[in-house]
Amino acid sequence: MINPVAYFLLFLKASLFSTGGLSNLPSLHQDLIGAGWAVDAEFGESIAIGQISPGPNGLWVISLGYLTYGYFGAILALIAIILPPFLVLGVAAIFARIARKRWVDGLMRGLSLAVVGVLASVCWTILRQPGVIWSGWLIALGACLLAASRRVNLIAILGLAGVVGYILYR
Amino acid sequence: MSQDRDGGTMMPSTPRPGQPGALTLLRIWTAIGLQSFGGGASTQLLIQREFVQRRGWIGADELLRLWNLCLFTPGINLVSLTILIGRKLGGGRGIVASLAGLLAPSAAVTCVLAAGFEAVQHSTTVHAVLRGVVPATAGIMAVVGANFAGPVAQRARKDGLRVMWVCGVFVVAVTLALTVFKLSAASVLICAALLGAAIFTPWRQRSTALDPAPMTDPTTLP
Repeated sequence: MINPVAYFLLFLKASLFSTGGLSNLPSLHQDLIGAGWAVDAEFGESIAIGQISPGPNGLWVISLGYLTYGYFGAILALIAIILPPFLVLGVAAIFARIARKRWVDGLMRGLSLAVVGVLASVCWTILRQPGVIWSGWLIALGACLLAASRRVNLIAILGLAGVVGYILYR
Repeated sequence: MSQDRDGGTMMPSTPRPGQPGALTLLRIWTAIGLQSFGGGASTQLLIQREFVQRRGWIGADELLRLWNLCLFTPGINLVSLTILIGRKLGGGRGIVASLAGLLAPSAAVTCVLAAGFEAVQHSTTVHAVLRGVVPATAGIMAVVGANFAGPVAQRARKDGLRVMWVCGVFVVAVTLALTVFKLSAASVLICAALLGAAIFTPWRQRSTALDPAPMTDPTTLP
């Protein structure tokens, strides 16, 4: 029998001690499997669903909540991932306090450069996934050009990529 | 920074001039939440398109600055970004409207997909479609990166050739650290921040080419 309070706190803890979308996976995996409230397959499924469904990848825990504890679990998971990001208000307040220090500008500049590098590495990682062959690189290039044009609707770009995938890989 | 103008405590009942109301924010974020299939790349691109490019409510450099703050916050960074944008554009109500808009439809669709996943998980059609969509998200991510790189590159250009080289090497080093050397994102970001402070701070009062421009637009400072 799942204890809703403990269940919620496990999700909250995982979210609180993670940053980004999937870094809460190890903690949740360990705790939920340990408590006998989830099985391995539900994790793989949740991550797959999180990748398909709209919104940040981190929403995969909502499907984990749904698969393990129904709609109530999905709602608990949703609340657990909404709360920790509110700490950003504290981060912003701290930043506002130190913003005039001489070294802060350089710090933010280093971070901004790193953000560009992080995004480049994410592209690279996606394109190096097993199953992405040369035609996948062409799809990526096409999507990149269409997205850069600013005129084409995002859904249209993803839909087109899906159709191309259907034709090529069916 | 303008986002701190009211410390997040004030909840204006009517939008300020030039500020969208909570309902407008709810509408925009719902559209983002419903359209951003393909994960974080799509969400980011839609945020850049809506708030920076189409409506001009947030500058490209400011969005990047907000994003930097989110990187140091626990949990999903895009949810933190939604909170910051919501507050900047609509105060407390803006936060609620933005979060509800982004998350309610996505959460609902996620549940529907989870319920139907059993039926389609072995379908070759679904796998083929996904094999097309996944690389497309890489292309979208590249545009997100290019949009974020815009203000960074502009500033480097202003600072001269030497700084442009330093910045280029910096970005490549971060990319290699993550892809080839497989270092953790957190350690790379912390190193990048410290290195940035070391390199770009004019430690000597009259520094040379690395002297940075003033931190933020003075008009947005409190």
